[in-house]
Amino acid sequence: MLPKFDILTVEQVDKIHKNSMKILAEIGVEFSYDPAIEILKNHGQRVEGHRVYFDPEFVENMVEKAPSQFTLHARNPEHNLVCGDESIIYMPGYGAPFIYEADGLKRDATMDDYNNFVKLAGASKNMHMTGGTVVEPTDIEDEIRHLKMAYSHIINSDKCFMGSSSGYEKAQDSIEITALLHGGMDVIKAKPALICLINSVTPLKYDDRMLGGLMAYAKAGQAMVIASLVMSGSTGPATMAGALSLQNAEVLAGITLAQCINPGTPVVYGSTSAVTDMSTGSLSIGNPENALFTSASAQLARFYGVPCRGGGGLTDSKTVDAQAGYESMMVLFATSTTGVNFVMHTAGILQYYMAMSYEKFMVDDEISGMILRYLKGFDCESDEKMAFDVIEKVGPGGHFLTQKHTRKNFKLEFYRPALSDRQSFDGWSKESLDTNQRAKLKWQEVLASYVPPVLDAAVNEKILTYIEKRSKELLK
Amino acid sequence: MNAIFEEIKEAIIDGDEELAVELAEKVVAEKIDPVQAVQLGFIKGIEEVGKSWTNGEAFLPDVMMAADAMKAGMDVLEGVLAAGEGEGTYEDKGKIILGTVDGDIHDIGKNIVGALLTAAGFKVYDIGTDQKAENFVKKADEVGAKILAASSLLTTTMKSQKVLIEYLNEQNIRDHYKVIIGGGPTSKKWGNEIGADGWAETADEAVELCKRMLI
Repeated sequence: MLPKFDILTVEQVDKIHKNSMKILAEIGVEFSYDPAIEILKNHGQRVEGHRVYFDPEFVENMVEKAPSQFTLHARNPEHNLVCGDESIIYMPGYGAPFIYEADGLKRDATMDDYNNFVKLAGASKNMHMTGGTVVEPTDIEDEIRHLKMAYSHIINSDKCFMGSSSGYEKAQDSIEITALLHGGMDVIKAKPALICLINSVTPLKYDDRMLGGLMAYAKAGQAMVIASLVMSGSTGPATMAGALSLQNAEVLAGITLAQCINPGTPVVYGSTSAVTDMSTGSLSIGNPENALFTSASAQLARFYGVPCRGGGGLTDSKTVDAQAGYESMMVLFATSTTGVNFVMHTAGILQYYMAMSYEKFMVDDEISGMILRYLKGFDCESDEKMAFDVIEKVGPGGHFLTQKHTRKNFKLEFYRPALSDRQSFDGWSKESLDTNQRAKLKWQEVLASYVPPVLDAAVNEKILTYIEKRSKELLK
Repeated sequence: MNAIFEEIKEAIIDGDEELAVELAEKVVAEKIDPVQAVQLGFIKGIEEVGKSWTNGEAFLPDVMMAADAMKAGMDVLEGVLAAGEGEGTYEDKGKIILGTVDGDIHDIGKNIVGALLTAAGFKVYDIGTDQKAENFVKKADEVGAKILAASSLLTTTMKSQKVLIEYLNEQNIRDHYKVIIGGGPTSKKWGNEIGADGWAETADEAVELCKRMLI
């Protein structure tokens, strides 16, 4: 693995840290959920109404309790994932309500789309897990959506996945279902198997829904990403340093609460901060500022000794065009080379998280493969890799195409593109397909040939029974 | 023409809320014609900002600060205007109730829509976030507004927009108001499904929508 590079100096990290601590101590954070207020009050923090003023030393001590890395367990142990240190975990986009099709059509996302994206992630060798809320399946009643989504991840793949954090009850359902999959609550408490996304409401607030989710996961010892999305210029200051300090304060407040509930519970420092487009007010994510926020967040997470979530294949484009490609490559490259561990939104996102696209998923999958290869760097470990012998053998003026060394090593060292076209002009012009068109053919082909790993029938039965029972209760 | 009108106009263009209030207070104290202050000062200023916005020269902070300054100054004049002081009358282009629906506390998008509507000459009553259907109606009846504009950012709170329309139907007052909706996960299709009178994707489109409905 390549060493991760820093973008902030030691002095800059110190300034951001102190600024965030000042925000936490003097401005405070608002928690709307009473049980959360109680917990922080019991831990000696000053509370006025719903606003909590944090003691910086207390925050540092609590953040210290969070593990620097943890293993997320999959149904198939081959897909267990280490989150932290040098690891990097890719997965599909999260939470988009729309699908943008190859021909530019916009439509509501459905459960069929949900299953398809889980399968595509299951089939991809670049996606390490199948993610969570890969689209918002708007054709399913909101009350039971979380149950259907969890089941989709379980039946369509044996990789790790994310659970619902939409309030205590839905979070609890996701945890119960995961416990059934892994053989009991005790099993997943000892070996975390589920992770969820907790978001602050910037600036400086956490709402009931998210805090309920946070408490359920923390109690069950399951992992969570605690993330802040500062829209620099609208929900946060227009300066990068100010916005980063604000984000940092929010995330530290969330991590502190999680550690109060269950010391040592695995958390991931999350950032999706980016800028506001000052002509429309919308979020803009396919830009150098987002790449900077992402890289700085990875560095702050290293400073605090916790894994980091951020970045992705991010773009503001509405279709799979050059803008979608160059923006996504910029952000995912920065994400991956500066030390983010957990990359939600790696593949599929268009228009600042508003839409998923099948074609974009395939493009991002290719970008992911390229970056994962880049991250491996140079292998100088053996004489064979240094290749002196074969250079000697060929000598001046020869070629390497017919050497055994070549035949063996090019497969190990070269990234083989799945989507990019490397043909001659004549070869390409037989069909003249652009990336968007090739991607469409590709995902259809992948879906058609995908065979989900078999799930134990008895386990499947238990999970289906639970879902059926809960659906009846929730739809009453 | 009184020089203060030009000063008011400049205060609005600069988005200087404090100065706008100060000048409005001076208008009241010195018994300067308030209708003229509105027409030659406040409206001239906000029109200028609106023009720069349309040309792409002004950005959101310019427009939103101008709208805030306008609102603050106009609030000071409200009393004398209501008392009928001054030559002629001042009328806004229409009254709009604006809020984020029940269960949702996101308000940036709503605030942008409010500012652009203000800049376009509408009188906006922003009732805030997490607002139940009855609060939209209560405020509308209090001020005589005909448009209810409901915002939602989450797929889970979109249904509160539907609840708002259902509430109007239940109360048999659906035809008293035009309901328009917006927010990230909403769509024209959703608007049609729940029987809204209009949907807009962006704040600029929301302004056009209100113009079509009220003018």
